[in-house]
Amino acid sequence: MRRHPVAQMVIVGAIASAIGIVIALVIDWFPADAAEQAGPIDTLYDVLMIVSVPVFVLVTTVTLFAVWRFRMRPGQENEDGPPIHGNTRLEVIWTAVPAILLVSLCSYAYAVLVDIEEKHDDQLVVHVTGQQFAWRYRYPQPGGRAIETTALVLPKDRPVLFKVHAEDVIHDFWVPAFRVKIDAVPGITTEVRATPTKLGRYPVVCAELCGLGHAVMRSSVRVVTPAAYDRWLQEQTAPAGGEATGGATAGGEGEAGGGGGADLAALGRETFVSNCGSCHTLADAGTSGAAGPDLTTALRGQDEATLREDIVAPDARITEGYQAGVMPDNFAETLSAEQIDGLVAYLASVSR
Amino acid sequence: MEAASASSSLHHAGEAAHHGPPEAHRSSRVDPQMLGMLLFIISEIMVFGAFFTAYFFIRVVDGNPWPAEGTELPKAIAGVNTAILLSSSVTLHWALEAIKRGNRPAFKAGMATTFLLGACFLFIQINEYVHVGFAPYDSAQASVFYGLTGLHGAHVALGLLLLLIVTVRAFRGHFSPQAHRGVEVPGIYWHFVDVMWVIVFSTVYLL
Amino acid sequence: MTAKLRAPGWYRSGLFLLLGIAFSWVLVGVGRLAMDYPNAWTDGEAITTVSLIAAPLFFLVGLGCFDYWFYWASGRPTRAEDHSSHGAESWKDYFRVNTDHKVIGIQYICTSFFFMFVGGLIAMLMRAELAQPGMQFVDTATFNGLFSVHAALLIFLFVIPIFAGIANYVLPLMIGAPDMAFPRLNALSFWLLPVAGVMLSASFFAPGGAFASGWTAYAPLSTEMPLGQVFFTVGVQFAGAASIATALNFLVTIITMRAPGMSFFRMPLLVWANFATSLLVVIATPFIAASQFFVLLDRALGFNFFDAFVGAGKDGSVLMYQHVFWFYSHPAVYIMMLPGFGIISEIISVKARKPIFGYRMMAFSLLAIVVLGFTVWAHHMFVSGMHAWIRVPMMITTAIIAVPTGIKIFSWLATMWRGVLRLDTPMLFALGFLTTFTLGGISGVMLAMIPFDIYVSDTYFIVAHIHYVLFGGSMLTIFAGIYYWFPKMTGRMYDERLGKIHFWATFVFFNVTFAPMHLLGLDGMPRRVADYAEQYATLNLLVTIASFMLGLSMLVFLYNMVASWRGGPRAAANPWRALTLEWQVSSPPPIFNFDAVPTVVGGPYEYGVPGAVHGIFQSPAEAKPTTAGSVATSPTRE
Ligand code: HEA
Ligand code: HEA
Ligand code: HEC
Ligand code: CUA
Ligand SMILES: [Cu+2]
Repeated sequence: MRRHPVAQMVIVGAIASAIGIVIALVIDWFPADAAEQAGPIDTLYDVLMIVSVPVFVLVTTVTLFAVWRFRMRPGQENEDGPPIHGNTRLEVIWTAVPAILLVSLCSYAYAVLVDIEEKHDDQLVVHVTGQQFAWRYRYPQPGGRAIETTALVLPKDRPVLFKVHAEDVIHDFWVPAFRVKIDAVPGITTEVRATPTKLGRYPVVCAELCGLGHAVMRSSVRVVTPAAYDRWLQEQTAPAGGEATGGATAGGEGEAGGGGGADLAALGRETFVSNCGSCHTLADAGTSGAAGPDLTTALRGQDEATLREDIVAPDARITEGYQAGVMPDNFAETLSAEQIDGLVAYLASVSR
Repeated sequence: MEAASASSSLHHAGEAAHHGPPEAHRSSRVDPQMLGMLLFIISEIMVFGAFFTAYFFIRVVDGNPWPAEGTELPKAIAGVNTAILLSSSVTLHWALEAIKRGNRPAFKAGMATTFLLGACFLFIQINEYVHVGFAPYDSAQASVFYGLTGLHGAHVALGLLLLLIVTVRAFRGHFSPQAHRGVEVPGIYWHFVDVMWVIVFSTVYLL
Repeated sequence: MTAKLRAPGWYRSGLFLLLGIAFSWVLVGVGRLAMDYPNAWTDGEAITTVSLIAAPLFFLVGLGCFDYWFYWASGRPTRAEDHSSHGAESWKDYFRVNTDHKVIGIQYICTSFFFMFVGGLIAMLMRAELAQPGMQFVDTATFNGLFSVHAALLIFLFVIPIFAGIANYVLPLMIGAPDMAFPRLNALSFWLLPVAGVMLSASFFAPGGAFASGWTAYAPLSTEMPLGQVFFTVGVQFAGAASIATALNFLVTIITMRAPGMSFFRMPLLVWANFATSLLVVIATPFIAASQFFVLLDRALGFNFFDAFVGAGKDGSVLMYQHVFWFYSHPAVYIMMLPGFGIISEIISVKARKPIFGYRMMAFSLLAIVVLGFTVWAHHMFVSGMHAWIRVPMMITTAIIAVPTGIKIFSWLATMWRGVLRLDTPMLFALGFLTTFTLGGISGVMLAMIPFDIYVSDTYFIVAHIHYVLFGGSMLTIFAGIYYWFPKMTGRMYDERLGKIHFWATFVFFNVTFAPMHLLGLDGMPRRVADYAEQYATLNLLVTIASFMLGLSMLVFLYNMVASWRGGPRAAANPWRALTLEWQVSSPPPIFNFDAVPTVVGGPYEYGVPGAVHGIFQSPAEAKPTTAGSVATSPTRE
């Protein structure tokens, strides 16, 4: 029983497409999702796969079929194919069908775009500033004051509008779990929206090449309950003297900038993990960054004054084998005086 | 610019026998050198286009005041300068017509005047830079101003070099009513430089 | 000795190079004195910057690229020697300024492959560093330099010029012309290339390291980079000038020098493809020149195009750079693809022994891509923070580009249908191209969908797309074309068995190298990073191992080419029984291509049509029909 080649091909193609689509839908392609925006984007991806797989299968199947059925067999060395010059109907079809398909995809993508960029009335505004090679955040408060931190903490289920700035070159503010990113551009303010929906800690990544430290320009965002967020805000507003708020830290785990630790070195350790760990390895803190010297060994026997200088004015003394300008030189501004004291105390204690 | 196919007919009398490839079939009425110059001018227009894009972004998209606050562009002088450059186009055309008719004195006079007018334009332009009162690094507007006029100035300088060659050759007795492509092709370029200046002048100084 | 120094050539060019540097030195010194700047004579950076611009020009003058024009401009008789550098008698002739389009074609191809190997080796270093998380071999600055130089070399010194090289060789032959329209301009544009290539590669030796802001060199990062950046900024100008000059030459050649009877719709599709590409080059390339001028002015002379912070103005326009850059660099991706489409059309038609399906639509779709190509640049800027509304029209035009591209893909499939497919090396590469390029194109269409791009922009998903279209697309068409015309260019056959090994190794390891990058990107791994999180370790190790195998497969190709060129069996004039004109003359072709101008009497792809001919070498009146594909009676020189 021999079928028409086109019919054979359609069957094989349909089966292959079905398998491909199932695989595409079953595989978990993305990292954890933690924002409302993730849903529509992930669905858009699924739809794109459902359209793409058959297109790819079509081209591949026809190619393989042609190879299989029409390849030159011994004795055909001087044969030519039939002189077919074209077929208007076919050509119209393969112009029109992709065109329709693509315009529909665009319409759908446009709908998704509108959806993920929808404005909300009760939105929380957070200013994000990128600089070589760290992120800073500013929370405007009623009464014109603003909280400056190096830790990003967001309440669950509240739409957030990030207003993104850059201090030196272009960076890109990206939270993979939220699925959205936007460049931080010197001279202008860019905006991106996300509504966190799941508690937890997620990476913040700089996605635009910004120089030597681009690969390590990482930090994290913590999504907490609205109540915990309010408590965190309170602590931030409290004068930087750091009165203890009763031991228990707001979000459960230790958090950067929180004045909760009774012990200076504990604060230092916390600060280190969230601000320095992306570049420095330090066994005691459990970090494994590689852009800067390995502080487990590099620090042996340094006094506190040197340590302090290394932190607030890193370019004053460049460790051999490293370059100036990689380690941010404005920790004196982005960290509180207490945090720096903590860092010095902590590093001094572990280097002994 | 030279064309393999046409090179032998190009050169003035007395050229040695032709050593290049054989004549190609001519599949178009357009002259290869003219076409080449035309395409070159298209890509030149695109260079200017990119500089105008910069101008557009800085002035319109980013809404910076034009010219930058506290500075002023010498419109009157630039206007006079425009007239100078435009008249050089006229004299060039006159020179070309002269050699076509075989009137060598007029041709020489035309070329010399054209060259001098062009040089005069460039001189006034440089003088303007000295007295304009702001430097390229003062603001983005200043950068664009110097960028656009400087780019044009560089083209004038290049055009002047071509004109100089033609003028020198004119005085040496080259070119004839039959062979004057060496005048025509640089001429097109010079006219292009003139037209471009009118656009630069209108957008940068007048608008 | 003085005679050697006065005659054009390497000695004089060396001397002139030194003169150029001295000239730049004096220029900088005098300039700085006039402006009252400190250390007028000892500012190394300024001297290097000016030297980079001026010294190559001196070098080219020394080499003899301009001799003819100097004589011509001064009205002195152009000397016979100036014309006679046609044809290559020994390998030495490839190292001189030569005006024969066939010699120039070979020069282009060899130079480009040289830089392909340099760029590929750099990729190997990069993959070695990326084999494991953490830093192993290089520091972050060097790594950024590695991928920047990698991409710049492969784009500006490999894909773009090698297509110009292939076309340089076969295009005049295909249209029945004795040479290009401007042979001396052609020689000049070739010699600009090694200059650019050496400059880009040499940036590793600049103080502060190679340029490290990616091949995109976004401002203001690029305006703040160490000296190495200038090597890119200036090097790209030379490559761009070369590319514009060649494109102009192609356009004039195609328009004015076609053989009698070769109407536009009788041109082979490779000629059409180069026509379309050249239009793109002439119109778009000036934009990258300008973007690099801006960077150079900002960096070297303190202009303020991009700086949003310095000076009272605070008004530089950072996004302007990206618009100007992508207005070139998006069309550039089609500059890197359309000639490949042309090559594939030639090969598939010949190897399937069928006329190309829908010839006119094939030609029109090229033009459609040219036009649409200018309307999509901002799809690289969906997350750049530009005005939000621009994204939507750009998404639509970008998606629509898939339609003309689809027409081409489907037409090739239809051409193969019911043909008699010869599955030799060129055809295998063509088929490999069909599948991998479709995959790359589809990922491109996915990227065009704004919300999806917002997520994957600047991740390894983009790196995967880049390599599927550039390697799976351009690179495979280049291999196909090189194998296809190898007999014509060298007069020898390549080794078919090694060719097949090369294809299968390349095809398999290419996919194993670059397919996992899609997964890495979707999983959140950003591009341009020297170090990455633990979770991506396994796939990266796989990618690295596969990329080394891919690199080794290139050695098979290299060996095959060198060995076959030196000692392969002699090739017949028309081993593929093709109809297009280049196959109707000897292999390699005689010095001015045709002893008599051919007359074109039919389409270029009339395979299977009884008695069809494309070109004849007698006057049309006495033309005798020949059977399709049989070796036409041609007055070869042997
Ligand atoms: C040869 C080079 C080449 C080619 C041909 C293409 C072709 C395409 N590219 Fe690609 N692209 C690059 C090289 C290329 N690209 C590079 C180098 C970059 C990165 C630059 C950088 O940042 O460093 C890039 C980046 C890039 C981006 C930006 C991503 C980002 O940075 O965020 C986008 C977004 O839209 C895109 C889209 C497309 C599209 C839609 C096509 C289309 O032309 C593809 C059309 C082809 C097909 C679709 C396949 C065949 C068609 C069919 C079988 C018909 C039916 C199909 C459907 C119905 C889907 N490309
Ligand atoms: C035509 C273009 C082209 C080609 C052919 C290639 C070929 C390759 N590319 Fe490249 N690539 C780009 C264009 C290209 N690339 C571009 C535009 C970018 C973006 C840059 C940017 O972000 O600015 C990029 C970026 C890029 C990255 C991402 C860098 C980053 O973002 O951090 C990577 C990472 O793996 C990569 C790898 C490779 C590999 C393994 C090959 C291989 O295919 C190479 C194979 C060739 C060889 C290996 C050479 C020949 C072999 C020998 C000389 C023998 C010796 C062999 C051994 C020692 C094993 N490329
Ligand atoms: C973007 C990367 C980066 C970040 C973030 C970073 N550093 Fe560094 N650090 C470096 C580099 C690179 C060096 C080596 C060059 C130098 O000495 O400045 C360095 C050097 C140091 C040194 C000197 C080491 C020695 O050998 O004496 C100390 C101490 C140090 N860092 C502490 C810190 C602390 C504390 C933090 C956080 C508040 C931090 N660093 C954040 C990159 C970074
Ligand atoms: Cu900041 Cu990359
Ligand atoms: Cu693009």
